[in-house]
Amino acid sequence: MLKKLWTHYFIPQERNNYRASILKPNFLLLLLVAYLLNQSAIKTLTIAKPGILGYSSEITAQKVFDQTNIERQKDELSPLIYSETLSKSAKAKAQDMFANDYWSHNSPQGKTPWTFFDAVGYKYSVAGENLAKDFPDTDSLMKAWMASPTHKANIVHTRYQEIGIAVVNGTIGGIKTTLVVQHFGTPLGASITSKNTIPQPSEEVVQSSNILGKTNQPLISPLTLSKIFGSVIFIGLAIVLFVDGFVTVKKNVHRFTGSTVGHISFLIFIFLLMLYNQQGSIF
Amino acid sequence: MIIPKEVKQKPLEYLTLFFSLIIGFCGYLFVDSSQAKRWIIYSIGIIYFCWSLYHHYKRGDLQLSIVVEYLIIILLGIVFISGTLF
Repeated sequence: MLKKLWTHYFIPQERNNYRASILKPNFLLLLLVAYLLNQSAIKTLTIAKPGILGYSSEITAQKVFDQTNIERQKDELSPLIYSETLSKSAKAKAQDMFANDYWSHNSPQGKTPWTFFDAVGYKYSVAGENLAKDFPDTDSLMKAWMASPTHKANIVHTRYQEIGIAVVNGTIGGIKTTLVVQHFGTPLGASITSKNTIPQPSEEVVQSSNILGKTNQPLISPLTLSKIFGSVIFIGLAIVLFVDGFVTVKKNVHRFTGSTVGHISFLIFIFLLMLYNQQGSIF
Repeated sequence: MIIPKEVKQKPLEYLTLFFSLIIGFCGYLFVDSSQAKRWIIYSIGIIYFCWSLYHHYKRGDLQLSIVVEYLIIILLGIVFISGTLF
């Protein structure tokens, strides 16, 4: 009985008009609804039980600082000096985003990045801000920033002399995450120097700065949940389509259905995109 | 290499589809913003739908059930990938 049911849904045969029932529009629609329900359940969980889902991170301010200067050195630019004051403004920005539950350069209350520079008393001639969240490690974070022209422009800006970095854990939109804030600046009145004339930053200063460390608590990533559920559906569909194509070619059956090769190609395309999608968001 | 019968019968149609999917994939890897990525996915979905209409029209079996089947497969793909886009 179970075998009969199984073959009816997954193997093309005379009883199901040589089309696996799971590939028929009504079952495909059911799969679509199931996936949407899974997405709704994830969203509901973030509202009902905030902090259960989230992104673990191994990012530290030290690593971000080091890699920022490595990127600058590649362009033969002078390394940035670590600024405690800028770190305080970066930390204040991250805490403000968590407190007011937003993800943007400007807060819903109208605060701009410059509000935080001013609040810590940093007088600047030129300044900038890079934001990132949900990244698992510093490498993927730096790769994303360097791939974005506007973020890269901040990292390799010739006029910046100092940098402050905050790596802060918290909850945004019900999802635990690690926010990384980079504040760049040149103090007002400081001479704008060009290549390789600024001294190397002190390691002690960097290590005693606001490094909040990594998220120790194991978290369930909502992105991983979506990917797992979607992958199960897509791999299942692809296998059934392969079997469907094989059986119908073998039995030389002609049916009025969509192209099996077309469907498999499209599903492989979607699956490859899903594999390429990286965790993390920059602003 | 085993080439499916339906591909052998209409090689140009399938080559067009494969080429579109590969171009779409390369474009997806190349662009930076989530917005642009979404547009590429929507565009590929529309291209696949148009391809299916042409393919089945030429084959002489363009029926509502087939159109619905393509629409649901495309919708499933778009919803799935949009859900994993940050």
